[in-house]
Amino acid sequence: MKRGLLVLLLGVVVGFAAHVLYFRLHRPADPDSTDGQLAWLRLELHLTDEQFARISELHQASSPRLRALAAQVAQMRSEFAAFENTRRATDRVDFVEFARFVEARRNISRECLDSTRRLVLAAAGEMTPRQREQYLGIDSLAEAPNPHATD
Amino acid sequence: MKGTGRFGCYAVCPQSIPSPMPNPNDPLDPLLDRWTGPADPSPSLAPEVWRRIALTGQGANESGGLWASVDAWLSRPPFAVLFVTCCALLGLFLAEVRVNRLQRERSVLLARSYLQLIDPLLKADGLAKSP
Repeated sequence: MKRGLLVLLLGVVVGFAAHVLYFRLHRPADPDSTDGQLAWLRLELHLTDEQFARISELHQASSPRLRALAAQVAQMRSEFAAFENTRRATDRVDFVEFARFVEARRNISRECLDSTRRLVLAAAGEMTPRQREQYLGIDSLAEAPNPHATD
Repeated sequence: MKGTGRFGCYAVCPQSIPSPMPNPNDPLDPLLDRWTGPADPSPSLAPEVWRRIALTGQGANESGGLWASVDAWLSRPPFAVLFVTCCALLGLFLAEVRVNRLQRERSVLLARSYLQLIDPLLKADGLAKSP
């Protein structure tokens, strides 16, 4: 009686351990971290070690600049919101200030697009044509419905 | 004298062993005198025996029949190894299913996160939406 019970328990323990170990080894990347996103890119595009190292380097090199630009864009948006609030409250528009604001925003947007384009082209230059095609189609993948959407 | 199969030595006793002398005061005698032999079994004995055997077997089956048979199977080493291997394979299969499902769910999120990583305009959207 005892031996059968032991074998039963052993089977359950071995099955559970195999499940946990396999899941930990193959756990999908964390979407909130840069490393997780790059690991996902590597898996998705089947990048070799050399390609992954080079592409990671490109992303790490451009990351501070892109982050600074994102902060500038966010600041411009909040400034625009404040500008709009003032216009609604006082019903007056400082056109000179507004033109300067629009010009600055346009410059930042252009700079953002240029930075992104440079990074994408540099990363795509490290890829094979098939990988490049798949890489440039990532935006269509991102437009898929969110599986976590509640409504 | 030599034996045919095994090693050994046998001796032949030249004198015959004398038969034991009858004991006139044997205490078993009166008992043997009183014994008349086995009584004839009742005609209902055999059915009663079979009924009790059937009851015992039924009770054993009801009390732990399933577990007893499982235990008997698991006590055999080949089946024990097979059972543990099947448990491990089942665990791996379920983990693979879980990983696949999670990957499908996260793939879209990761694509969006990556686009935010490389595009400051999208990242600013994300910053504005986050509390």
